[in-house]
Amino acid sequence: MKERQDIIKITGLQKSFGDLHVLKGIDLYIKEKEVVVIIGPSGSGKSTLLRCINYLEEPSGGEIVFDNIPLNGEANINEVRKEVGMVFQRFNLFPHMTVMENLILAPMKVRKTSRKEAEELAMTYLKKVGLAEKANNYPDQLSGGQQQRVAIARALCMKPKAMLFDEPTSALDPEMINEVLEVMKQLAKEGMTMVVVTHEMGFAKEVGDRVLFVDGGYIVEEGTPEQVFDQPRNPRTQSFLSKIL
Amino acid sequence: MDVNFDLMKSAFPLLIAGAGITVEITALSVFFGMLIGIIVALVRMSDFKILRWLGNVYVDFIRGTPLLIQIFLVYFALPSIIGHRVDAFFAAISACSINSGAYVAEVFRGGIQSIDVGQMEAGRSLGMTWWQTMRYIILPQAFKRIIPPLGNEFIAMLKDSSLVSVIGFEELTRRGQLIIARTYASFEIWMAVAIIYLILTFTVARLTGLLERKFDTK
Repeated sequence: MKERQDIIKITGLQKSFGDLHVLKGIDLYIKEKEVVVIIGPSGSGKSTLLRCINYLEEPSGGEIVFDNIPLNGEANINEVRKEVGMVFQRFNLFPHMTVMENLILAPMKVRKTSRKEAEELAMTYLKKVGLAEKANNYPDQLSGGQQQRVAIARALCMKPKAMLFDEPTSALDPEMINEVLEVMKQLAKEGMTMVVVTHEMGFAKEVGDRVLFVDGGYIVEEGTPEQVFDQPRNPRTQSFLSKIL
Repeated sequence: MDVNFDLMKSAFPLLIAGAGITVEITALSVFFGMLIGIIVALVRMSDFKILRWLGNVYVDFIRGTPLLIQIFLVYFALPSIIGHRVDAFFAAISACSINSGAYVAEVFRGGIQSIDVGQMEAGRSLGMTWWQTMRYIILPQAFKRIIPPLGNEFIAMLKDSSLVSVIGFEELTRRGQLIIARTYASFEIWMAVAIIYLILTFTVARLTGLLERKFDTK
């Protein structure tokens, strides 16, 4: 069997907002098809770390290489972004467009796919997230859980090599969390490379190949879900887990 | 006092023709003002420092000086720089357009900035360029929100265009002045002029309301 390649390589990543030093040196290699779950207290820098991977935040220092392309600001960022899907906490669907229009816009404008092809692709992914019958609805006619599933389908329509999830269930009512997690589990099973910032520890245990605990701008602890959840070594991890579990 | 209604009635056709010119100046000025305004708004939000600075100077200068002086600058001061006289129509349209552009730029900027930053991030995260995201995602949403303030800008320009009467351009106000010079009936004529302005501004306000409702249903 072929050795899996590191698709995301982060070395010495730093990020400051003015005087606020959020990331203080992050090293992280992520393999193809790996599911990495990032946990940590709020303000620990976990979302910032995720947003640096596709340059929604520009790193203050360090290097990020995606699929052998070193990220280099505006010069090549669109080349990388079209290969990296992102799902946001607050969905960020385009409210003036139908679900179908949300899905076909980027494939047509960025990948130059024909409308017919883009619509077929969109239908495939809408079926996958169980929302084919909502193609002609507007986002505000959908529930939060449905909107987030559409957002996942929208990212998938670019046929990304990896997906970033920034607290995808944090803005949802409790009864809608599972429908979104199910879609994500399915994706993981199909071999999508995923980096997920979440507070859903059940999901992390079940789906994660590796769990990172981020606190104070560093990766404090990492390992398999069993290691991190059942035998945390670092006192800060222990204290965090004791509060939320 | 006696109000001479016959005189008012006989003056109306001349005044209506002037009102047509007022509408023409206003429409052209707001149209060019929108072109200038959207460019200036985008420039002022861009990363190019010099362009941003120029945009700020333009908006501050126009909003900080009277339109009347701006008209004088184009009509009386510009010829001494370029070496030949400026046509009154050109002076009226260009002064009003440049003036309107500064206000429309602020309207556009407000509209664009009222759109959640998550929309730009979502567009960019899909690999679209800044401009593609503006064009397909931000601007269509912003347009809907700026219809009411753009309507206000149109109404303001309808009224402010009366200032071009001072360079002898025969729009509604200037027509009124000329009729009064001949008839001395200042009450009747200024009342008639005021009523015509009122009808124009009221119509625009109603049209804006209709447009707003049309866009509201997507």
